[in-house]
Amino acid sequence: MRTIREVFVNFKRSGFLSLISIGTIVITIAVLGGYYLINETINHFMNKFQNKVEIVAFLNDNLSNDKIDNLITEIKGFSEVTEVIFVSKMDAYQEFAKDDEMKQILDSFEGNPFPDSIKIRLKNYARQNIEKLVKFFSNKEGVLEVQYGGKDIENFLNIINVIKFITAVAGIIFIIASILVVTSIINLTIYARRQDIYVFRMVGATETYIRAPFIMEGIIHGIIGGAIGWGVIYLIIRIISIQIQKEIGVNLLNFYLFEPHFFTIKFLIGCITSGAVLGLIGSLLSQGRIQGGY
Amino acid sequence: MTEELYEAIMIKFKHVYKIYEKDIKALDDISFEIKSGELVFITGPSGAGKTTILNLLYREDTPAMGTILVNNTDISHLKGSKIAKYRRSIGFVFQDFKLLFDRCVFDNIALPLEIIKANTQYIKNAVMEYIKKIGLLGKEKLNPWHLSGGEKQKVAIARALITSPSIILADEPTGNLDDFSAWEIITMLTDANKKGATVVIATHNKEIISRVGGKVIKLDKGRIV
Repeated sequence: MRTIREVFVNFKRSGFLSLISIGTIVITIAVLGGYYLINETINHFMNKFQNKVEIVAFLNDNLSNDKIDNLITEIKGFSEVTEVIFVSKMDAYQEFAKDDEMKQILDSFEGNPFPDSIKIRLKNYARQNIEKLVKFFSNKEGVLEVQYGGKDIENFLNIINVIKFITAVAGIIFIIASILVVTSIINLTIYARRQDIYVFRMVGATETYIRAPFIMEGIIHGIIGGAIGWGVIYLIIRIISIQIQKEIGVNLLNFYLFEPHFFTIKFLIGCITSGAVLGLIGSLLSQGRIQGGY
Repeated sequence: MTEELYEAIMIKFKHVYKIYEKDIKALDDISFEIKSGELVFITGPSGAGKTTILNLLYREDTPAMGTILVNNTDISHLKGSKIAKYRRSIGFVFQDFKLLFDRCVFDNIALPLEIIKANTQYIKNAVMEYIKKIGLLGKEKLNPWHLSGGEKQKVAIARALITSPSIILADEPTGNLDDFSAWEIITMLTDANKKGATVVIATHNKEIISRVGGKVIKLDKGRIV
């Protein structure tokens, strides 16, 4: 109770400085929250894609069944592969012919234009796994062409990864900046209250008694900053989702990441906790100032 | 005071030196004894070493050489929380009051009791009793800014006495006060002494010393003269 009262005394004395400290934590939490959301979005999409990514190897018409079987056996030997399906040219034709429009196009060809093919499904979407298999097929006799549907996704993910990297760097910079700002501001508060600290010491206060309010001050700045930071992210997401819904009719709030229960409870707790930790680190770093002997 | 109370030695300085930068000797081979329940004046011109002795007694500083015993404990070797506990047995009165100006009169006096985590009801009763004694009833919720110099010092003395410490140190307690207020303050200190506290007052006010009497330690340039 006394600690909280002292925190309010400090806030009253150096309200503007406290606002700067809280403001820095707000920015940091907003950047870190943004990073978290981008990261979660990427992971979410990666999980969705990785089961659907497949490599297709088109084969020469004159490849014997034995050679095809050997090829399938070799592919199954790769630990990254989960499923290998042989699609004969007839199967491919029948599959496409199910669609009336495609049937008309296929009828314009003489015979069956499709080659035999092998579809390979991978355990996860990793560039090195794909490259390894593409290289393997390219050197194989009887393989016409190798295709995989991940190129566009990969380009998209490359852009996302750049954004992720920039956000991570900005996040680290803001973490350091906010810790430094909290430390400096609590140092200033300690300086402003040096006579009070002296009086506390002279009447027999322990170090814990003297330091606790300053540590609590950092934590409270962090909690307030974390909550406002969450508010800032929430507001930005709401504005963006309203704009997106207006432009393309997709409601972002239907996505699991932006579902109200996730975004309001879990995320709010996460932001507040992160803010409190930042404030705690900042205030602990400032404690040397008291040791300095005011 | 009775002879029995004088028997035990409360404070003992044995060949104490305090040297600041560039070989400036603030205290030069100081030795003296103060018995329990004694009233002692430390006097001398500015820079004689009066405040240095009180700072050493308060364990704000340590001597360069020599031993300081308080109640048979060598206070120079106290560390950490033991210093805090030691200070709780001492009441200190400063010339510039050293009050907390964002707290009211009541809270300033209550501070030492708050630190030792005394019962809230006990704090309320004890503080109000002292406020009555020092004649500030009705001003307990006022900020010290609204008090006169004499009233501020009364609050500071009430804060020093509230835990009934065995030793009271006062550094020029009347330095900033008019004669009437100064005498009120000295009376409060001598009253505490009559109740058994060992009182050490650093002052250069010869009139007060001659009116009150008691033991006098006279300093000049860091030496006892």
